[in-house]
Amino acid sequence: METAALVVVLVIALALFFDFTNGFHDTANAMATPIATGALKPKTAVLLAAVLNLIGAFLSTEVAKTVSGGIVREDAISKMGAEVFLPLIFAGLIGAITWNMLTWLLGLPSSSSHALFGGLIGATLVGVGATGIDFGMVLSKIILPAVIAPLTAGLIAFAATKIAYGVTRRYDGKPDGRSGFRWGQIFTSSLVALAHGTNDAQKTMGVITLALITIGWQSGAHHEPQLWVIVACAFTIALGTYLGGWRIIRTLGKGLTEVKPAQGFAAESSTAATILASSALGFALSTTQVASGSVIGSGLGRRGATVRWATAGRIAIGWLLTLPAAGGVGALAALLVIWLGTWGVAIDAVLALVIIVGLFMYSRRNEVTHANAMSDVAESGLAVDQPEVPGPTRRATRIELMRALERAERKADEAERAARRAKKLKKVGASPAEVKAAKRAAQKAADKFAEAERAAQEWELLSASRKERAKLAEWDIAVDEQEDAR
Amino acid sequence: MISIDWIAFLNVFGAALLGAGSIVLFYALGLRMLVRAGRVPVVTPVEFTDAITVLSEKEIRRAAKQAEKAARKSPLSEGQKTLAFVAAIACFALCALAVIGGILLIVVGH
Repeated sequence: METAALVVVLVIALALFFDFTNGFHDTANAMATPIATGALKPKTAVLLAAVLNLIGAFLSTEVAKTVSGGIVREDAISKMGAEVFLPLIFAGLIGAITWNMLTWLLGLPSSSSHALFGGLIGATLVGVGATGIDFGMVLSKIILPAVIAPLTAGLIAFAATKIAYGVTRRYDGKPDGRSGFRWGQIFTSSLVALAHGTNDAQKTMGVITLALITIGWQSGAHHEPQLWVIVACAFTIALGTYLGGWRIIRTLGKGLTEVKPAQGFAAESSTAATILASSALGFALSTTQVASGSVIGSGLGRRGATVRWATAGRIAIGWLLTLPAAGGVGALAALLVIWLGTWGVAIDAVLALVIIVGLFMYSRRNEVTHANAMSDVAESGLAVDQPEVPGPTRRATRIELMRALERAERKADEAERAARRAKKLKKVGASPAEVKAAKRAAQKAADKFAEAERAAQEWELLSASRKERAKLAEWDIAVDEQEDAR
Repeated sequence: MISIDWIAFLNVFGAALLGAGSIVLFYALGLRMLVRAGRVPVVTPVEFTDAITVLSEKEIRRAAKQAEKAARKSPLSEGQKTLAFVAAIACFALCALAVIGGILLIVVGH
């Protein structure tokens, strides 16, 4: 029992460390957009993110219940006993942290949440077998939300961006007041930080609660996390967020993609709404992936945007890889426990220590590279290619067409009048010079009429064809080349 | 047999679409009304990061000047402008209500 108690303490410590790295890693996700658009000063953004993560952690416990009471079958745990199952949770956590650190070092897109679930599932599969996992729950509360949530967020962000631009668009060239979205971004990015605290802090609460239930310090009938667990997780994620922010301040301005305030506002609203709605129903999704989905969706919501499939594919592969890869590492750590018993736990603990020290040393490095300068969310913005100046809207071309038609009509009248005048002058016997001048004027008016008619035809073609309108977009070739080189 | 609650996914999609959609719609309408009321917001970035490539200090000054000119030349009467301003405030209030309502639903609902 003493060994089991010691392992519980180790699990709690490691889970809290995971919580800390989660906050550390994800500050950028909530705050990259408002910093990029200049809505918030980096220091203010980081402090705000930390405070709201803290508050968010207290809002709901549905996700924690999913983790503590859904993934692993309790009958399997009780059959095995706490002494065997607790080291498996420990091994799962090691799998999660190792994979997180590896992806961070290599600059691969990943998700802390899926690393955690992958680690836990991998360790349980090896230690208990397939009967230990509630696959229905894993599919409906983890895997399907993982696939659906970023798509949902992307679709909503796409629609929200269209609304934001559509409602504020002006056709008379007067100011549209879109920079006012910068104020709004302060609130929406705060909502994202709040949502992050609500969903991500709960995952750690769930793991700790699972350990407490396994050892019998908490009744299996209640999967709600205890108050001290909530408080500890809330403060740890807030601390991680705050300290992670300093890394962002250091690397700020390097590798942020350009986001317009209206677009950022729409993307953040969509991220916050999707995460909060999912948290309320107990879906344990990846906040990084949802925020990335929103950034891509809102980018596509802007006129003339196209998807860079190579970048999008790389991101998607990183996402798909996380769960099985972390599962593999978790399974390896669990194998050590199964083969070597207490010695296995000790080796796992040493491995965890090495990883933690390594992570700490790495975070102290001042070098700014592709891997640490950019958050996954900011990077996902690169999956969308946007023209510097998009082509005209359909309505704008229709307005221009009306103007061109009016002009053509006017010019037709003028040409007819000039031709009549030339004829009249010839009839009344005016001097040849006068007639010549009148003929020249008539020819000029006719040319202008033809020109106006050509312009009207061009506008007609533009208003009928989206492709033709897109051809008028102006692309910044220098920026594209720079991005391709990167 | 694995049973999946597909309705729950639809619920999340519907709730998130309604939440995000109403926040963005009311906020954008609020901005539109502010512009109508002759109070065009020109919000300067608090810090110029390298991501802000489309805006310079000079452009902001020009935008402020344009906003002032547009307000001066507005064909609306003072009463209409006040009405637009009140509508703008109402839109922002609705946007805030949508946020608070959503959070309350999550906290109280569970």
